[in-house]
Amino acid sequence: MRRTQEKLSLTWLLKHPLVATCILLALTIVLPYLRVGERLKLLTFLPLAHASGEVSETPYEELSEDERIRIDLQRERERVSELTAENSRLAQALKDKNALGDPEFAVTPLPPAVNAQVIFHGDSSSWRHSCWINRGRESGIEEGMPVVAGRTLIGRIFMVGDDHACVQLITDPGFACSCLIVDPDNADESAADRVRGVLRGDGSSMPHFPRLELEDVAVGAEVKPGMHVITNDYSGQLPLGLTIGVVRETIPQAGFLEVRIEASLDLSTLEVVQVLQHKRPELEEQALALLKKK
Amino acid sequence: MIQAIRVRSQTPRYRWRIVAGGGLLLAVVHTLLLHRLKLGDFTPDLYSVFALYLGLFASRQGRYVPCLVLGLIRDFFSIGLIGSYGVLFSLLHKAAGRARGKLDPDKLLNVFIMCLIGTFLVNFGYHGMLVISGYGIGWSRALVRCASIAAASAPVAVLVYPLAHMCLHRLGVGRAGGYWNI
Repeated sequence: MRRTQEKLSLTWLLKHPLVATCILLALTIVLPYLRVGERLKLLTFLPLAHASGEVSETPYEELSEDERIRIDLQRERERVSELTAENSRLAQALKDKNALGDPEFAVTPLPPAVNAQVIFHGDSSSWRHSCWINRGRESGIEEGMPVVAGRTLIGRIFMVGDDHACVQLITDPGFACSCLIVDPDNADESAADRVRGVLRGDGSSMPHFPRLELEDVAVGAEVKPGMHVITNDYSGQLPLGLTIGVVRETIPQAGFLEVRIEASLDLSTLEVVQVLQHKRPELEEQALALLKKK
Repeated sequence: MIQAIRVRSQTPRYRWRIVAGGGLLLAVVHTLLLHRLKLGDFTPDLYSVFALYLGLFASRQGRYVPCLVLGLIRDFFSIGLIGSYGVLFSLLHKAAGRARGKLDPDKLLNVFIMCLIGTFLVNFGYHGMLVISGYGIGWSRALVRCASIAAASAPVAVLVYPLAHMCLHRLGVGRAGGYWNI
């Protein structure tokens, strides 16, 4: 019996969707810089971002009196909400600064921030944690920028569209950042003496969250409940001194210390966040900074 | 017999409306409602329950591609790798087809067992994909979480499947040999 030869074409792929999906998955894994999946997802969320407002097609002059009043009122409301968010951010920053005593990172000014509203909470997979915000490239947001509420770290920008962006939360398994453990009662501690660790999300959610874990803390490090956990600028990924939480308990493991943290914020209730316009330095800049430190 | 042949020869009804509508509705439920309940690891995996329903009760043409599309819809509303759930749900429909030959899915106890195993496998498979990407959370912890998700999903399936049967019957969708003509 003669077997007909099938050519690999678009029609063939449409007839075999599992193969097509496997190819797509393989492309996403093998060629992450192409970001095929991310681009497709950004397109999916575009209508949602547009629906969240701010897209006004008709020029202001052509609107009726009623519509103008409504738009003015809306703008005033947005202004009030932005100012309220700014106020709460500054209040939180002041609170964090007071809580940490007066070490150098608490007085370090943060990079300029862009206020954003959370338009879509959560993720359809129970393993991943993300949210969508209503600011994007047009507001100067770029991938990798840290997202905070006050001075507390929430996550980082994962993918960005023109007027919307996806935030990868600190509880997502793909999130990892270098951290410092600081004793608020011993503010004079030198930078070299501070305990370091890596915060890694594990996809856990409430009621497990707000419990985070810090990995790779050296055995014998002096870590006590009540100590503060803040970000480290070791790799330049995040600015120094963003609050993460407070140490709740330490569990000695073989070769390292497991540090459980009580997070400062419940991420599921956030409405307004700030994106810090912090850019990760180039490799050469990092090397120069390290040389200067030495 | 004649009626069964007649039902099978009919064109499928509501297939894409059910898959697309159900997929989008579940995206809303998963992202906006379920996380507010703060159930932790004990959160039901409604997508897997739905995919298993399609795998068990949809007509021959209504299982494979709809399961794949449902998985892709879930992938679009997640920051995970695109295609992960697409592949997993396609495999789930294969497994459901085999399980159907051994267990009668019209019995609620069998539904419970099949959903328990199916949801566990989907989530364990997803964790496997996370491990490939370097984002694994540790196998022992993953096992506990998969078991919790499966334990939360199985009772949901027992409640929802009879309701789904009733809805399809009310919509006038034909059923032959235990398969709905969707």
